Amino acid sequence: MHPNVSQGCQGGCATCSDYNGCLSCKPRLFFVLERIGMKQIGVCLSSCPSGYYGTRYPDINKCTKCKADCETCFTRNFCTKCKSGFYLYSGKCLENCPEGLETNNHTMECTSIVH
Amino acid sequence: AQKAIIRVIPLKVEPITLEGVFANVAEVTPAEGKLLQFHPLSLCNTSEDEHTESGFITIVKLERPDRDLHPCLSLANKAKLAGERGARAILFDITDDKTAADQLRKPRGLSQPVVLIWGHDAELLMGVVNKNREAHVKIEVKEPPAWPDYDVWIL
Repeated sequence: MHPNVSQGCQGGCATCSDYNGCLSCKPRLFFVLERIGMKQIGVCLSSCPSGYYGTRYPDINKCTKCKADCETCFTRNFCTKCKSGFYLYSGKCLENCPEGLETNNHTMECTSIVH
Repeated sequence: AQKAIIRVIPLKVEPITLEGVFANVAEVTPAEGKLLQFHPLSLCNTSEDEHTESGFITIVKLERPDRDLHPCLSLANKAKLAGERGARAILFDITDDKTAADQLRKPRGLSQPVVLIWGHDAELLMGVVNKNREAHVKIEVKEPPAWPDYDVWIL
């Protein structure tokens, strides 16, 4: 297959090749590296997988991993769900809640103390 | 340049023996491990780089330079990073990018060997990769042919 021709390309690729999958994505799509067994290929997604957030650059839109203590996030510094053992407060993951707040072990968030 | 013998031993399939060339950027030394392919846009020293167990042999199929891939690092630095990430050797398929040989000519003393492969040998290797067959790879230093011991010397 001629590398330029998109026959073998997945839907979102702008360019691709037999061995590497997507090399670049169509506009607005995110470029992600995916490992399948011993192969690693490029894929183009409309949104980033869970555990990643999207960053748009002039030449490529990329998915970047959330912080180590965060399971899902909007941006690097705005977490939406923390990993086990951490409480979510204002987009941050804390091991203990700030003074004046209490831990909600159901939602794993810091919440106001209810008197 | 020093030639390399690359023995590829796929699971349940006949082994194949290929030839490549050691790049000067790294030491010329044998190596072996499980074959693992990396995308040319990987190995960027970012959090997206996956954490693989060490002891593997990296293979990167390079694309034509005119495909404008905006690589994040030079090939030498990618080879260095692969070594830091646990690769025992890095194979570059330069069939579509012969400029790679120039990029990897300058000695940098990388401890993991870097081997260039191209043409039919590379095609056979990438055939194994494309079938996603787990394979073990042994890289050996090809010894130059020993001089036959003539008694008579022509001066």
